[in-house]
Amino acid sequence: MKNKKIYLNAATGFGIMAALLFAQGCKKSFLNATPATTTVATQFWKTQNDATSAVNAMYADLHNWNDIAFAPIAIESMGSDDVTKGSVPTDATFMNEYNNFTVTAGEGQLEGFWTGMYNNINFANQILDNVPGISMDGSLKARYLAEAQFIRAWDYFRLVRAYGDVPLRIHVPKNASDYNLARTPKAQVWAQIQSDLTAAAAVLPTTYSAADVGHVTKGAALALNAKASLYLKNWADVVKYTNAVTALGVYSLFPNYEKMFRTQNKNNVESIFEIQNMLIPNNPAASNSQYSQVQMPRVTEPAGGWGFNDPSPSLVAEFESGDPRFIGTVIITGTTTPEGDMIDASAPNPYYNMKSYVPFDEYVSGYNQGCQQDKICLRYADVLLMNAEANNELGNSAAALASLELVRARARAGNAAILPKVTTTDQGALRTAIYHERRVELGMEFDRYFDVIRQGRGAAVFGPRGWKAGKNEVWPIPQNEIDLSAGTLTQNPGY
Amino acid sequence: MKRIFTISGLVLLFSFFIITAYAQNIAIKGKVSDAATSETLIGVSVTVKGTTTGTQTDVNGAFSLSAPSNATLVFSYIGYAGQEVPVNGKSVIDVRLNAAQNELNQVVVIGYGTQRKIDNTGAVATVKGADIAKQASTNPLSALEGKVAGVEIINSGSPGSSPQINIRGMGTVYGNTKPLFVVDGVWYDDISFLNNDDIENLTVLKDASSTAIYGVRAANGVILITTKRGKAGKAVINYNAYIGWQAVTNQVQMANGTEYATAINELYSENGVTPAFSDNPAQFGTGTNWYDQILRNAFVTNHQLSISGGSDKYNYNVSFGYLDQDGIVKTNNYQRYTVHVANDFKVAKTVKIGFTANILSGSSKDIDGGIFHEMYTAAPIVPVFYNNGAYGDPADYNVGGGANYNPEATIDFFHQKSKTKQLSGNVYGEWDIIQGLKFRMSFGGQLAQSEVRGYDPIYFATGGQQRITSSLDVNHTENRDWIWDNTLTYDKTIKKHKITALLGYSALKNRTSYADAFADSVANAASGNLHTSFPSGTNVNLTYPANAQFLTTQLSQFARVNYSYNNRYLINASIRHDGASEFYPNPYGWFPSVGAGWVISNEDFMKGQHFFSNLKLRASYGEVGNANVPINPSLLTVTNDPTQYTAIFGNPQTANPGKSINTVVPPTTTWEKAQGTDVGIEAAILNDHLQIEAEYYNRITKNAVFNIPIPGSTGENGPNGGILGNQADIKNDGFEFTLTWRQQVNHDWFYSISPNLGINNNIVTKVLSGNNPIYGGGNGITNGSLATRTVQGSPIGEFYGYQVVGVFQNASQIAGSAQKGTQPGDFIYRDVNGDGQISSTDRVNLGNPNAKIGYGVNTYIKFKNFDLQLDLQGRADVSIYNANLAYRFGNENFSQDFYDHRWHGDGTSNTYPSVNIGSTANSAPNSFYVTSGAYFRLRNAQLGYTLPGDLMRKWGIQSIRLYANAQNALNIFGYKGFSPEVGGGPTNLGIDANVYPLYATYNFGVNVTF
Repeated sequence: MKNKKIYLNAATGFGIMAALLFAQGCKKSFLNATPATTTVATQFWKTQNDATSAVNAMYADLHNWNDIAFAPIAIESMGSDDVTKGSVPTDATFMNEYNNFTVTAGEGQLEGFWTGMYNNINFANQILDNVPGISMDGSLKARYLAEAQFIRAWDYFRLVRAYGDVPLRIHVPKNASDYNLARTPKAQVWAQIQSDLTAAAAVLPTTYSAADVGHVTKGAALALNAKASLYLKNWADVVKYTNAVTALGVYSLFPNYEKMFRTQNKNNVESIFEIQNMLIPNNPAASNSQYSQVQMPRVTEPAGGWGFNDPSPSLVAEFESGDPRFIGTVIITGTTTPEGDMIDASAPNPYYNMKSYVPFDEYVSGYNQGCQQDKICLRYADVLLMNAEANNELGNSAAALASLELVRARARAGNAAILPKVTTTDQGALRTAIYHERRVELGMEFDRYFDVIRQGRGAAVFGPRGWKAGKNEVWPIPQNEIDLSAGTLTQNPGY
Repeated sequence: MKRIFTISGLVLLFSFFIITAYAQNIAIKGKVSDAATSETLIGVSVTVKGTTTGTQTDVNGAFSLSAPSNATLVFSYIGYAGQEVPVNGKSVIDVRLNAAQNELNQVVVIGYGTQRKIDNTGAVATVKGADIAKQASTNPLSALEGKVAGVEIINSGSPGSSPQINIRGMGTVYGNTKPLFVVDGVWYDDISFLNNDDIENLTVLKDASSTAIYGVRAANGVILITTKRGKAGKAVINYNAYIGWQAVTNQVQMANGTEYATAINELYSENGVTPAFSDNPAQFGTGTNWYDQILRNAFVTNHQLSISGGSDKYNYNVSFGYLDQDGIVKTNNYQRYTVHVANDFKVAKTVKIGFTANILSGSSKDIDGGIFHEMYTAAPIVPVFYNNGAYGDPADYNVGGGANYNPEATIDFFHQKSKTKQLSGNVYGEWDIIQGLKFRMSFGGQLAQSEVRGYDPIYFATGGQQRITSSLDVNHTENRDWIWDNTLTYDKTIKKHKITALLGYSALKNRTSYADAFADSVANAASGNLHTSFPSGTNVNLTYPANAQFLTTQLSQFARVNYSYNNRYLINASIRHDGASEFYPNPYGWFPSVGAGWVISNEDFMKGQHFFSNLKLRASYGEVGNANVPINPSLLTVTNDPTQYTAIFGNPQTANPGKSINTVVPPTTTWEKAQGTDVGIEAAILNDHLQIEAEYYNRITKNAVFNIPIPGSTGENGPNGGILGNQADIKNDGFEFTLTWRQQVNHDWFYSISPNLGINNNIVTKVLSGNNPIYGGGNGITNGSLATRTVQGSPIGEFYGYQVVGVFQNASQIAGSAQKGTQPGDFIYRDVNGDGQISSTDRVNLGNPNAKIGYGVNTYIKFKNFDLQLDLQGRADVSIYNANLAYRFGNENFSQDFYDHRWHGDGTSNTYPSVNIGSTANSAPNSFYVTSGAYFRLRNAQLGYTLPGDLMRKWGIQSIRLYANAQNALNIFGYKGFSPEVGGGPTNLGIDANVYPLYATYNFGVNVTF
């Protein structure tokens, strides 16, 4: 009896263990655990909402740190004679290296700009590769693809003028052999930029409904195409594209130059391509644009910012006397801004960027200063000046003078005593006048540095600070990228 | 007067009477002999418990003394298990003592069971709960510091926080470096919920063969903790309490007002800024000492009451604990209540069930994490308050950015409270199926909720410290974990063969969910600045960040066999099959282990000698895994981080969440697997007075998850801009030595000394895609420069930067150098490749933050009723990076040491740079910031006195012990920062950017047993 009981007990014990050990049941599915908030890629790219989300991510990325703050200041602004480093002397001294052309390949902003642009290009490529496969409204799909093409062209535009030959990636990498692309000759990159813009212009609408303001328009694609042609010295194309922008009939010059850049006048009649930012209520973390914060006057009020990228005495001197664009471009320390803020004389810098400035009363504690400030990347005045320059190069002085006068007239605002009309038909003199007009019209808008280089005047204008022809037309390829490519990427000459 | 005297006199007489009435001594005699051999034992100590009365056995093993008839006699003898025998009126007491081969017959806790120490072939270290409870630490891990060779504890210091623990070096780069904690069979990542006084026993499983039974979570070692359970017998009530205070030690001195103004003047002139900062630095005098202002001596008190008891059929243990600890930073406080309940019931002859529950309720008033940096950098020329009561405003002194804060205002207007409630424990049942065969099932887990609530009010303190809108942020974390264990154990001894076999099956699920709610413009409550809920009508932004939700599951089967032959030859083998959800769809792995041992001292040829009472050789090998890698690394996921991907459209503007893919398809990733070998020798010599343990270990982590950066043109933007995959091997190897000397000099004196030493070498041995380095350690470094490099052939996270060879004294020296853009006072860097310029290729290895040597000495002295414990501890051959020195953006203050030695003119210093140390050129990671992190300290000193037993007994108290304790009272180190204990993850270890200052704790306590 006792033995039987022992064996029965033992059998039961082993039985339980065996059942537990060998039960196949829910085994493997038990191990398939993903938190509900994570989306797996295989379940994405299925619906119209997915396409919209991807387009949103691409636009949102435009106001990330590397795309809108320090890296663009270093790469697209610091080299010019329009700016000084700003802030206190001991702060971010690497910025000086861009200003005096002593930068070497290991400097951090080079890598930041490079990766910032390519991250944005990736978002565009994700849309272009994956959205065609989604079954959704046809015209919306075509519009999304066109928007992705524009943004990709915009990113490559910034890359090619900063670094010259750059890897041209137009599809999402599929496997490891795709990761390491060599540098593509810049002519090919420009060609891709222009073909993307041409295709986009054909599809993008001229305007959007109120809810969709901020998406790129046909005018943006045409204007950027004009700018690309300007860099390539295809004057006829410049004239063609700029005239097409005018012909859309939706753009005109905003009457008050200084007010054009204030938050009350976002997406005004002159703005063609504007990066949208917002102070999102109850969400400081997502209100992440630091575009304004890094340039705001370095005053001790909480609304003050870091004070980088300040107008230089050279830019200040460029303005003709009485030009109201001066007060719309430059904040003078020790004076009160047109918006009523007194910039205390104790601030460490004499001038600050007026175009990125947000009045102190718009500051909200806990948010980046000026996080609500948009960045106007293309505007109608620029289109008119491109038109003037190209027409002049083609010998059409009348057309050139007409476009130039439209810009000056807006600045003049009816005051006949300032900004006399330019009348010279001499190509050289008119060219100089147009170059001057570009500088005072588009000052502090991240345009001057590469503009002067493409005009062939780099050595003349920047030479005194150390700019060397044959080297400084482009910045060095980031050393980190060369290392990662194990030598597939080569360095620019001179670095 | 007269009356009082009379009354007190009566009381005295009365008590005397009572004492004499009780103290009816009788004469007792007897003999003590060895239970196994019946030999009489000479020199056995016989004492009356709770008194100093005692004697020793003579050459015949006989003793005689007189003691109260209700006393207890205590017999103790080195090498034998002690006994306590109540007198109960007997006049002859003969005692047989059992030889205890020291700890070897004792039982150690191993994974899923226990084993005699003699049979163990792995590296297992045991620390008694009493030793942990003795320390003034509020966290059990802090109490371990210096006690176990090979275990490194790095304290962060702040109240309620858990220290970092590394067992035998860092074996992973991306995974978690935490060991697995098993408390009463339930798995945890963190044991800060445990009250030290509730711990019965803590075991550290160090080598792979001991930890392999835990498979996939075992790569960093395992710590097993059993909490106290009841014991059969009369109810015992324990009360332990202490009160004390904490005070900052090794305070770093900062420059005073005059020195600060002088330094800033120099800073201005070196940067061509005019006019000078101050035309009369002397006017500022001493200025404000911000450390004195913000830090304080902080009060701490801890109380614990426990009741335990039981019978043959059941037992219980219930304890309550209360801790109240102020932090050394003003307003910081941590309070904790703990409850521990353990019950065992023998419901039938063969069935036992029971449960353990640990409940914790903790709350803290938090401080702004940046306050340490603020105290370090705030300008001393700014007063704390003006005469009119307003806060001193740095703007009034033109201090500018970088130091534009008044730390007192930061403290006063930071309102954050954290609350945690946790229930953890398990329920189990054991069935003795047949003789030797036992089945055990247990189900346990934890339910924890914590909430952090931070409120920013509208206030004005200084120009730079004010808010014009209020906000409230509440985040909520919830953990729900369960684990289900089933084991079948079979124990059998047949003649000389002893075998134990184990079969097990286990499943677990861990879930963490996190939510964050934020709202602007939350009006101040009437009674103060804090809130318990969002006022109705508030627009709350609620987010569930995807990267903060975790869900993992695991399914495992395991088996183990322990075999010993004739107590001489030992073999232990185990295997575990784990499936873990992190690596789905390839979640499985096998983790085997084997160990062998030879107890040489039990051999026939060793019978005659008396030198070795124990000599054992052991060797083991095992494989373990690390599942604590970033979750689901093989899965391509969509990113929807709202802080990065919220697009703005429309007029009026609206926020539009975005989602897309910004990673490339990752390769299939599997376990990191560690293969560990361990060889050791254990010996006890000189009549068991000296025990020695020495071993060599070698642990290789294979398939370590490494992030290989890929070209930026891919546009991929993973956690560190690369692809995560199994791409590297890492090796940790070293030696451990532990000695313990114990001696009962006579029946008044006993002492023991136990030094331990661990030496560890860490190196990355192989990276599959070649020499691709990983740079890290950018936190707290100016401009985010990366100060560490992990690459094949070097330790993880080695400091990497320029080598400083001097300081430029004048312009002509600069003109002839490779650094033409610098100015006098800047560092001279070595041009390693001789190319005439200083660039990133001139960087060299600067130091290793992985400590090579850790040691401790634990001494214990007992004299009559006094006991003294001295624990010393230290680390050596370790480097740390002083990032505070160069983390400058403006006019931050300087340390006194820096000010005194700075370069301020031709010939004034060739080692320290000028005050322009924050410039890009000087703040680049370089050798000036890397110093030795070695330290030596008196970790704990405790003097205790146990009150004489005679007084106690009549109050029904078994013992009262009073003690005075000092922790970290004496610290010796060369590091010029606050504390050389600087933690961090694998690629940013040892970077001191914001470290909690070192402090000593002095307390007085009492242990009462009823």
